[in-house]
Amino acid sequence: MKKKVALLLAAVMVTSAVSGCSGGGSTGKAAVGGGNGSAETEAGGETAPVDPAQYEVTEPITIKWWHALEDQYSATVDKVVSDFNNSQDLITVEAEYIGSYSKLNEALVAAHAAGTDLPAVTVANTPYVAEYGAGGLTEDLTPYIKATGYDIEDFGDGMVEAAKYNGKQVSLPFLISTQIMYYNKDMADEMGITMPTTWDEMDAFMEKGTKKAADGSTEVYATIIPGWDQWYFETFYLNQGVNIINEDQVTTDLGDEKAVAIAQKIQDWCNAGYTYWTGTAEDASSNMRQNFISGKALSVVHTSSLYNNYVDQCDFEIGMSWLPGADTKNQEIGGCVLLIPSKNDQATKNAAWQFLQYLCSKEVNMTWAEGTGYMPTRKSVLETEEGKAFLEKKPAFQAIFDNLDLINPRIQHKGWSQLATIWKNIMAEVMMEGGDVQAGMEQMADEINDVLADA
Amino acid sequence: MNEKKINPRKISAVKDFTCVLPVLIFLAVFTYYPIVELLRISFTDWNLLNDTWQYVGFKNWNWLFAGSGNKYLWNSLKVTVLYSIGELSITLIGGMIFALIFNRMTNSFAAMRAVIFMPKYVAMSSAAVVFLWILNTDSGIFNYLLSLIGVSPVDWLGDRNMALISVLMLTGWRCIGYGMMVYLSAMMGIATDYYEAAALDGANAVQRFFKITLPMLSPTTLFLFVTTFLSSMKVFQSVDILTQGGPYRSTEVFVYNIYRYAMVDFRMDRASTVGIFFFVLLLIVTVATMKVSNGNVTYDS
Repeated sequence: MKKKVALLLAAVMVTSAVSGCSGGGSTGKAAVGGGNGSAETEAGGETAPVDPAQYEVTEPITIKWWHALEDQYSATVDKVVSDFNNSQDLITVEAEYIGSYSKLNEALVAAHAAGTDLPAVTVANTPYVAEYGAGGLTEDLTPYIKATGYDIEDFGDGMVEAAKYNGKQVSLPFLISTQIMYYNKDMADEMGITMPTTWDEMDAFMEKGTKKAADGSTEVYATIIPGWDQWYFETFYLNQGVNIINEDQVTTDLGDEKAVAIAQKIQDWCNAGYTYWTGTAEDASSNMRQNFISGKALSVVHTSSLYNNYVDQCDFEIGMSWLPGADTKNQEIGGCVLLIPSKNDQATKNAAWQFLQYLCSKEVNMTWAEGTGYMPTRKSVLETEEGKAFLEKKPAFQAIFDNLDLINPRIQHKGWSQLATIWKNIMAEVMMEGGDVQAGMEQMADEINDVLADA
Repeated sequence: MNEKKINPRKISAVKDFTCVLPVLIFLAVFTYYPIVELLRISFTDWNLLNDTWQYVGFKNWNWLFAGSGNKYLWNSLKVTVLYSIGELSITLIGGMIFALIFNRMTNSFAAMRAVIFMPKYVAMSSAAVVFLWILNTDSGIFNYLLSLIGVSPVDWLGDRNMALISVLMLTGWRCIGYGMMVYLSAMMGIATDYYEAAALDGANAVQRFFKITLPMLSPTTLFLFVTTFLSSMKVFQSVDILTQGGPYRSTEVFVYNIYRYAMVDFRMDRASTVGIFFFVLLLIVTVATMKVSNGNVTYDS
């Protein structure tokens, strides 16, 4: 009896090992109609003929759109989707809120690995473009753009670049924002403070912008830099010439002198009570916002997309100031792109392409730009009278319009999100628990090097 | 005529085997196959983002024991053990104390017992969300109550020293009633003769507890210890909702560590490696617990 059971188990183990080998290496369900394969070959050869009929929607279809747009945007989402559904008869779009960008990322990668339940169209936070492109998760949109004569040139150059991986247009810019320093204009005027434009001016600004009570506790923080997403502090490093990922693609300079000095400076400000580190907890963002709204912070670094939100909630005038620079004063694109998962069948992809074109259209983009703090993405708005009209409605956006050319694509690396997680965790630990900045950063660099080498 | 007769014992053995076969197949498919798969994946470089993978030998094991994974392995082991000690203390000691307090068979006590046991019925995810609000630094009821007695607000979930305690508070709220109920039913089963005899001999309440109740409850304690220990080693939901392993991985228990590798970093290879390690560890600990306790448990005969 025992022998038999053992035999059976052994048999199961052997078959599982064999089937496992053949199964694991497969590339999932092949796209119907060979759309996937042909798309790739066409992207490679510039002159390959593209047959527009291949990308037409011929039968009624219902497709899913995954997004990460919270409650405050739901009215706009509903309107945009129903406008599209009413504009034609063949495609019905169902919008699904999946959660934060990272939750959506988890769901999307899991669905991609399983090859089932994929959305036809999904948003993706800008840093994920590289991971998805490298992993083959995204459909290359180049042949679609060619076949339908889609005008991609009208998007801002940096935005198009941010939506590419390895020269392939794997996504399109959808809701684009950048880092910005919001400040309480009334308070700044009253305190006689002008916002800092360089990192060197920060020391003086931090000291002057902080209000302390008689017992030494802080009543007003000069500024708050979010710690829950490294996007908010990485430009301080980039603009001082720190290579977050070196050219060799497998090492970081985050443990070097310059990088340590920046972290040390922030720790000094925290210790002096000029600012506090938000940490990475769930409520870090809402706590920071609350501090600014209630006048406990002169300024905060946040995403420009929340402009309308701040304006609605604050009873003082809000200014926007470009982040303090150093050798350069570049910033980075934030927000999200739209993409089509490559494991969808061709009919779904074709319908998805129709919807994607609509979502990225100038009209829909301006609906977002006017109702939220997301930026206009089109040159035909940014560089024309339309842009001036937009600025009249939102004068604070002047800071962004003045620096459009300085908004760069994100660093693209397959190990980026792992790097980011390590970085923000160590920053939180060093800032909130105190401790040796140098040791923390050096140890972090070791860990990041390991991740980069193994990505 | 000269056909060999099949041994009836053999027929019976085959029959027996066919009866257990469905269960064996079930076990093989859903338990043993995944474990073997896990071991296999731990020797690959399978990243969920990639469609292909290769065998990489002991690379992942090297990473776990000699590379950058080592630090977080021991970190999560430490956190898990701390959590387990916490949950065990609450369920065993807390459950015992509550059982002694509520060991009275009247309607009012039955109602109170029901109230204490009730949280066990609440889904962990819902309970965790409620605790998220209770423990909120600025608007949570806990800090409000503390402010009434002049204590400054505590960052329950964002402070490294408080986060694990906060998770344990949720666990305690949910599990103490369970420990109480199990102990109570075991106490009911202890024959009153022992107590009467002890009382006649002049033993006081404390002596009666330590000399009769506690030893007679040892099988129950063993049962509670083993089941609670194993479940506490596998804690996930409460950590996922309350802290996501944070702040800075200080509440990153074992299962959450595996989840992070698999679903956040998408490194299935690393997740499998840690998973296998965890499996072996639990196996050893469980066997050891059973072996050690065999000699020290008093069964009523």
